[in-house]
Amino acid sequence: MGKKSIIAASILLASAASAEETVIEGNVQSKCIINTDVAGVYGNPSPDKLSTLGTDGGVKPVIRFDVAIANYYLARIITPTSFSTAPSLPDVVNWTGSVATGEVSDAGMSAYDAAKVTYDATSEFDLTIAGSTWFDVTSTAEYGYGRAFPGGTYRAVVQAECIAQ
Amino acid sequence: MRILYFILSAILTTNSVAAHEMTPTYPNLVPSYVDGLFSAKLTMFNARKDVDYYEIGVFDTAWEPVPFASSSKILKVPYGSKKTFEVFVRREDRSRAVFICSLSKLRTNESAQAIISSKICSRTDGELP
Repeated sequence: MGKKSIIAASILLASAASAEETVIEGNVQSKCIINTDVAGVYGNPSPDKLSTLGTDGGVKPVIRFDVAIANYYLARIITPTSFSTAPSLPDVVNWTGSVATGEVSDAGMSAYDAAKVTYDATSEFDLTIAGSTWFDVTSTAEYGYGRAFPGGTYRAVVQAECIAQ
Repeated sequence: MRILYFILSAILTTNSVAAHEMTPTYPNLVPSYVDGLFSAKLTMFNARKDVDYYEIGVFDTAWEPVPFASSSKILKVPYGSKKTFEVFVRREDRSRAVFICSLSKLRTNESAQAIISSKICSRTDGELP
């Protein structure tokens, strides 16, 4: 009788255990992640020019912004206006730069370019759609009036900012 | 074959993803254990192999710096790790301290010619839309 009770109790306990539910919890919070997908390289198509354009032998820096929820962040990208590393340059360097959306995870993000705000070397994009946006950065430096850049290593910094709004 | 390996490694090197993340978007400045100081806690995640240090800054709406204290203004956040830090501001600066930002500090000997610096700013006066 005792053995039977133990068996019955263990069956009941086992079936009670199998009826338990496991709850998985999670929450999506607003956040911005800046991904530096491609660091970029300057090509030197002519002695007086450094450019990240593919046609000039360069590689465009590509920055990806991931936002979990729409309308929380502003993407601000500042193209270079000086070298962080360069040989001595007695003449002036003329800088041009631009930023454009590349790949997008949502077709609606293609409208970011039309709504872009540009001033000085800065481009601002309102991240109104959740997902990933890749921004292609173009930077060109031309030295003096057709003067050749002195030999050496040249580096410039692209600043990518994600500002909560 | 060697050329193929070279091309593949170049593609993989240039396309390796490197991320910088900081949460929350809207931290709260709450009274701290030190009288007269308010504090906010934030967490940073570093997935940038080329960055080990991040500079913390506090700014007002005109992007003027606001005095603050933290365990360190330059935080070491090794690749693949998360770090929680606390920012303290004085009671009189509480309403001015709007943006709390982290800025990647780049090494001067970085091999790429065009280097990307990343900055994420959270907002203390923000509200959920």
